[in-house]
Amino acid sequence: MNPTVTHDMSVLSLVTGASVLVQIVMLILVLASLLSWYHIFLKMFSLSRAARLADEFERKFWSGTALTDLYQRSVEKRHSVGSLERIFESGFREFVKLRKPDMDVANVMDGVRRAMRATYQREMDWLESYLPFLASVGSVSPYIGLFGTVWGIMNSFRSLANVAQATLGAVAPGIAEALIATAMGLFAAIPAVIAYNRFAGDINRFSTRCESFMAEFSNILQRQAH
Amino acid sequence: MMAYAYESPNEKAISGALTLVMHLMFFALLVFGVSWQKREAPPLVAELWSNLPAPKPAPPPPTVEPKPVPKAEPMPPPKVEPKPVPKVETKPPPKADIAAEEKKEKERKAKEKELAEKKKREERELAEKKKKEEQARLAALKQQQAKEAAEQLAREQDEALKKIAQSQAAAQARLVDEYKRRIADRIRRFIIEPPGLQGNPEVEFDVVVLPGGEVLDVRNRKASGQAPWDSAVERAIRRAQPLPLPPPESGLMREFRELNLKFRPKE
Repeated sequence: MNPTVTHDMSVLSLVTGASVLVQIVMLILVLASLLSWYHIFLKMFSLSRAARLADEFERKFWSGTALTDLYQRSVEKRHSVGSLERIFESGFREFVKLRKPDMDVANVMDGVRRAMRATYQREMDWLESYLPFLASVGSVSPYIGLFGTVWGIMNSFRSLANVAQATLGAVAPGIAEALIATAMGLFAAIPAVIAYNRFAGDINRFSTRCESFMAEFSNILQRQAH
Repeated sequence: MMAYAYESPNEKAISGALTLVMHLMFFALLVFGVSWQKREAPPLVAELWSNLPAPKPAPPPPTVEPKPVPKAEPMPPPKVEPKPVPKVETKPPPKADIAAEEKKEKERKAKEKELAEKKKREERELAEKKKKEEQARLAALKQQQAKEAAEQLAREQDEALKKIAQSQAAAQARLVDEYKRRIADRIRRFIIEPPGLQGNPEVEFDVVVLPGGEVLDVRNRKASGQAPWDSAVERAIRRAQPLPLPPPESGLMREFRELNLKFRPKE
């Protein structure tokens, strides 16, 4: 029996001292946190780039450049263009293909709209990818952490039954260990939720922007078709 | 299908690195910034040993001796005061009866001399006596002071020893009490209270314990008057082994060789 009772309560010792299941829970939470942060950073970069490219393209588009020139340009650098430019490109290609003297204008415009919508859907799908993951991390990781905590506290109470005196000192380290799991769950969840909300808002705004561009562009094409 | 513009391998790497850096920073903050260290100083043992090794070399007794006692004033040799007198007298020398005058003068002078000498001697004697007295007084004082100092030293040492012994004994007593309480607690957990007990009978057992905590013998010293309670307690004592005992190095085992335990149903 060691007379000097020392509770080493540093975070590291709390983690290493936890039971296996709690450690697994912690591992899952760490992974979730790492992945969610990775996607948060990635999405942050892509969204800001999407907005920048859209700005550039809109400036060019409304500056009066000929549509064919714009089309030429976007076909050339098709790997580094933004959503708006892709939508424009697919719409214009469809328009050029469909425009024949005997074609009905309404039919041409229908085809153009369909092509643009398809590209738009694909773009949105791309932008929205991994948002559900962030949402899941945000909503589920507190529960996972809570599970680890409940399990840890159960264990610490069970071991309490084998001690002669039930002192607070006998239970406290176990509970602290268990609570680390909840802390980690919250640590993973909070940024994920914040980022999810932020990104969902951004993407929503971006999609309205795309849709209004599509409407305006189809108006222009309709005018040209006549 | 198409390679999308919104993602480049470059950005992937940057994101990964940022993620790792962020997590590492947070982890470092947790580990080094927030460490809930709780060091419990053991109240019993610490107090016990901190006093023992050096029984304080009894603080030096208040140094009384060197007090610069007024050094027996070595009485300045008494000056012979009445010197100028004869000179005045000798001045007017009436030539008429010089012889008688001279004779008288001589006599007087001799007398005066004698007187002065006597006075001198007396004074010297007095001074010497005074000196002796002073020395004796000083010696006595010194002796007394030394005695007092010695006494004080002895008293202080005694007190310090007593204090140490007291604190030691108190600490030990506390430790013993603590372990007795633990033993009683442990046994109490194994008691299955028989139904139908009346009142709160107290049973007393003498338990002989081996150093490992095993119970060698259980003797019923004072029955409670309700046999079911007595036997329940006895069974509990046997089932509670090994009893929690202090570690052998604490030297308290002799307190636990034979335990006297009392149990009441309602406690």
